[in-house]
Amino acid sequence: MTKLNPKVEEWLLNPPPGSKAAAAKEFGIDLTLLIGTLRMTPTERLKSLQVSMESLEEFARQAQIWREKNHDKSRIRNRNLS
Amino acid sequence: MIKVESAIATLVKNNVEFVIVGGIAITAHGSAYITKDLDFCYLRSKENLKNIVSALASFKPRPRGFPENLPYIFDETTLQNATNFTFETELGDIDLLGEVAGIGNFVEVEASSILMDLFDYKVKVLSIEGLILAKRAAGRPKDLLVLPELEAMQESLKNQDAE
Repeated sequence: MTKLNPKVEEWLLNPPPGSKAAAAKEFGIDLTLLIGTLRMTPTERLKSLQVSMESLEEFARQAQIWREKNHDKSRIRNRNLS
Repeated sequence: MIKVESAIATLVKNNVEFVIVGGIAITAHGSAYITKDLDFCYLRSKENLKNIVSALASFKPRPRGFPENLPYIFDETTLQNATNFTFETELGDIDLLGEVAGIGNFVEVEASSILMDLFDYKVKVLSIEGLILAKRAAGRPKDLLVLPELEAMQESLKNQDAE
């Protein structure tokens, strides 16, 4: 973890009107997340990305399992109704 | 999903001349953006094509969407016959770019790169300025979405440098 310049942190937390940071915040970018990643070293950022990718892949896998089970249940329900 | 450290390691260990561009570069600079693939721009010299083959062949690269029942030969001749490639490999999805929109060929991309310490390696990564040019030139909705954050990062780093 590296130390982020406090003035940069303040700039991103309270972006001055008309700045690019203000435009990004207005656009919907969560600048507190950006502060968090800017505190890291590039290697730490890529390691964090790897963890995020693995979590998302696992989430997608579990969601697929849930959809398949749910689909089976709704097929049984529809069969019982008809 | 790309295995980032392993992909970078094999490229460096095989002396590939490359610059990381795209989502991994954006993340390395500090964005919270999430990507799934590794894009890199490469020098199209004979030696470098040979080194790319040495680096990636064992991970069985095949063009994404290529029919599974058809054979695909990944060698220097294949790399000579086109400029940009989108591969799926055992390391994940890897895109090889001979040139980058908005910047140019490897020499120009390298001139717009900075050297970063990634894992245990010194790796060339496209600068934030370069990424902004490339994303503007690509112009797809997904590229334009990352521009406000990149511009905010560029601005905040300029402020840091001015200290």
